Amino acid sequence: MSRACCDVAARPAPTAETHVRVGFHVALAGNPNCGKTTLFNALTGSHQHVGNWPGKTIERKEGHVEIGGSRITLVDLPGTYSLSAFSTEEIVAMDYLLDAQPDAVLVVLDAGNLERNLYLATQILETGLPVIIVLNMMDAAQARGLHIDVERLSRLLGVPVVPTVARSERGLDALKAQLAAEVMRTQPRRPERVVDYGREVEREIARLAALAGAEPSVAAHYDPRWLAVKLLEGDSAVEARLAANGGAPLVSTAREAASRLENMLGDEADILITDRRYGYINGLVRKVVTRPPLDRRTRSDHIDQIVTHPVFGLPIFFAMMWVVFQMTANVSSHFVDWIDGVIGGPLTRWVVAALGAVGLGGTWLESLLTEGVIAGVGGVLVFVPVLAFTYFFIALLEDSGYMARAAFLMDRFMHVLGLHGKSFIPMLLGIGCSVPGVYATRTLENERDRLLTGLLVPFMSCGARLPVYLVVGVAIFGARAGTLVFALYILGMVVALLVGLLLKHTLFRQREEMPFVIELPPYRLPSFKGVLRHTWLRTREFIKHATSIILIASVVVWLLVSIPISPAGSFANVEAGDSALAALSRWMAPAFEPAGFGSWQTASSLVTGFVAKEVIVSTLSVVYVGEAPEAPVEPSTFVQDVAEIGLSFAQAAWDTLRATLSLLPGVNLMDDAPEEAPDAALVGALRQAFTPLSAVAFLVFVLLTAPCVTTMGALRHEFGTKWMAFSVGFMLAIAWTASVLVYQGGRLLGLG
Amino acid sequence: MSPLYAVLDAIQQAGGPVSLRQLGSELDIEPSALQGMIDFWVRKGRLRLSGTEGVACAPAACGSCPTGGPEACPVLLHMPRRYEIAG
Repeated sequence: MSRACCDVAARPAPTAETHVRVGFHVALAGNPNCGKTTLFNALTGSHQHVGNWPGKTIERKEGHVEIGGSRITLVDLPGTYSLSAFSTEEIVAMDYLLDAQPDAVLVVLDAGNLERNLYLATQILETGLPVIIVLNMMDAAQARGLHIDVERLSRLLGVPVVPTVARSERGLDALKAQLAAEVMRTQPRRPERVVDYGREVEREIARLAALAGAEPSVAAHYDPRWLAVKLLEGDSAVEARLAANGGAPLVSTAREAASRLENMLGDEADILITDRRYGYINGLVRKVVTRPPLDRRTRSDHIDQIVTHPVFGLPIFFAMMWVVFQMTANVSSHFVDWIDGVIGGPLTRWVVAALGAVGLGGTWLESLLTEGVIAGVGGVLVFVPVLAFTYFFIALLEDSGYMARAAFLMDRFMHVLGLHGKSFIPMLLGIGCSVPGVYATRTLENERDRLLTGLLVPFMSCGARLPVYLVVGVAIFGARAGTLVFALYILGMVVALLVGLLLKHTLFRQREEMPFVIELPPYRLPSFKGVLRHTWLRTREFIKHATSIILIASVVVWLLVSIPISPAGSFANVEAGDSALAALSRWMAPAFEPAGFGSWQTASSLVTGFVAKEVIVSTLSVVYVGEAPEAPVEPSTFVQDVAEIGLSFAQAAWDTLRATLSLLPGVNLMDDAPEEAPDAALVGALRQAFTPLSAVAFLVFVLLTAPCVTTMGALRHEFGTKWMAFSVGFMLAIAWTASVLVYQGGRLLGLG
Repeated sequence: MSPLYAVLDAIQQAGGPVSLRQLGSELDIEPSALQGMIDFWVRKGRLRLSGTEGVACAPAACGSCPTGGPEACPVLLHMPRRYEIAG
């Protein structure tokens, strides 16, 4: 039992008549977020001033408090987890304690995180300074059902312990009384030794402490035992201080002692010391903290038990993703129709009218703008609602903390398959876009792991492929498109894993993966503002992309479609089938015949798809819609058009609301009318061009084919031209083989 | 075994990835204290932090990747931090 502790506890609070000590300095130390500054503010009120620590940008707060007629100066030290040379904050705190030698140190502990907070406390206790432990945030600890035996803690540490709730100023009177007692003390109080570092280490500590104690210039500034421990730990800041003051021989002696310990005990001295300190703290916490059995399992733990279950976790993840795609397809379709109506109706009419007004009606410029730019870019922009809703739902899952679990699950899954678990991170990024996925392989330290993962990333279905799945899927499969899209995403992952296994056991034989631990954040209610912000940022990127690269690609495709290769047509006035694009595509089309999509139109879309996958949609729009007969259009005024846009938007919003509510079990607010396809002319053409089987084969090819030019650039940048060429050739071969297998296999099974 | 070495040992012995919460629960160590021990082992080079929080997207000049910084990365913003045994 600590005499100091019990003496202090028995001492009455000082009165104004008692002896007053002038210039009493108290330091406040503690971990970040332990309520130290709240306590400082509660004690000093407005009597404080803020500055910086000399030569540092770290804030220094100093204030004073009058207790029993004594003026006590309080200094708020930076929040730190330990008293070492690991950060500027730690060095600032240590320098202050060593140089200023405060009369007392209030070590503020978060009562709910005692085990971690005690680490700093034990280090400060070793400095030999008079310590008062402030057990703060007691209310939060009690709310969690923790019971802390304050008296026993005080007894075991050998110092006073005062429980407080600084936020509501609970326990402050007791703390002030304790401070007053410190002011009154006539003999300096030194904490007892708390941590026993084991026989061998203690022997070296004793030897070094004796040497330090024998040197007056050292002993005057440092507690010899504390100094011995710090030197054995190899604390660079302490070594530097000592060396600057003629203590270099002691530093050398300490290094020799540390080396002896390492040879004797098989590990570095600082590890041995830290280990014993943690061991002491762990034992101390077990003695003084009682927690209810359920405390260990938070709500997050309960949810994690289900969603990260080794067996059920993956099916839950896939079911979750399926729900996201279903909701996206159902909810967004009405806005897809609305945008399509605006682009194909009023917007096109305005452009035609404007060109007609300046005498350019019926010229190649009108063709470029309406059939190239508007049809091409518009064909992609139509899918903005789909992507926005997808991003919204994904952001919702991410903000809730679930996506971290998904990463954990997939990590474990890949580990089981023998692949590097970390590969999953770039691959998951690849679901959004292959390019950041390829660059994210830099997080893998091993070159072979990097390359293998880089080759697998493009197999993940990137966001740019989504519009292709949707336009073909909705045209051919209608309401079942959501399931098809989901299946394609899964197929991409499965193929990536299979290819990974194949490459790992052939080209990339590699070492075993190192075990690891992963930090899962607690679940939280998603912030609606944050989710909307992320949705907007991601959608904006897509729109930027659609109006830059795809605009250029659409113009190029329009040019190829506009250049005649027979005398029957002229520039911008030629049947698509007689264009340069058709000639190029016809040359390639036979290669796709075994896969069921051997028309020049589909071949042309696959060629232009190398620029960016979304361009497949715009190309299909240009080559098919260009050929489709135009429906007669009722003339309308500008005001009528604006009114139509507004009314159709309101209708789309209403339908979306009904569709969203209809997703609830037992609710059906939608009539059973067939879903209107995004672009009637394109849908009609696609239905003629594809059978369900050839459509699936086509989409499988789109999923697995060589990545876009930007991804190729990223692959070349990261792995060189040889591996980029390998990736392109390898993926083309797999895509062609898979699509032929789907088509021919389906035919054999009588599916098409 | 003392808690500090027990942490390292438990990660090494785990058949696959293990979460910090699981580890804390198994070893009867408060999550925040466990984080402190993990940080210590990272400083000592026995564990390696391999998290990819805020993975940088590709340069703004490229075509298919987001130009709005990591926040605009489709699908993923923050991956959980991972600590693996330094081989």
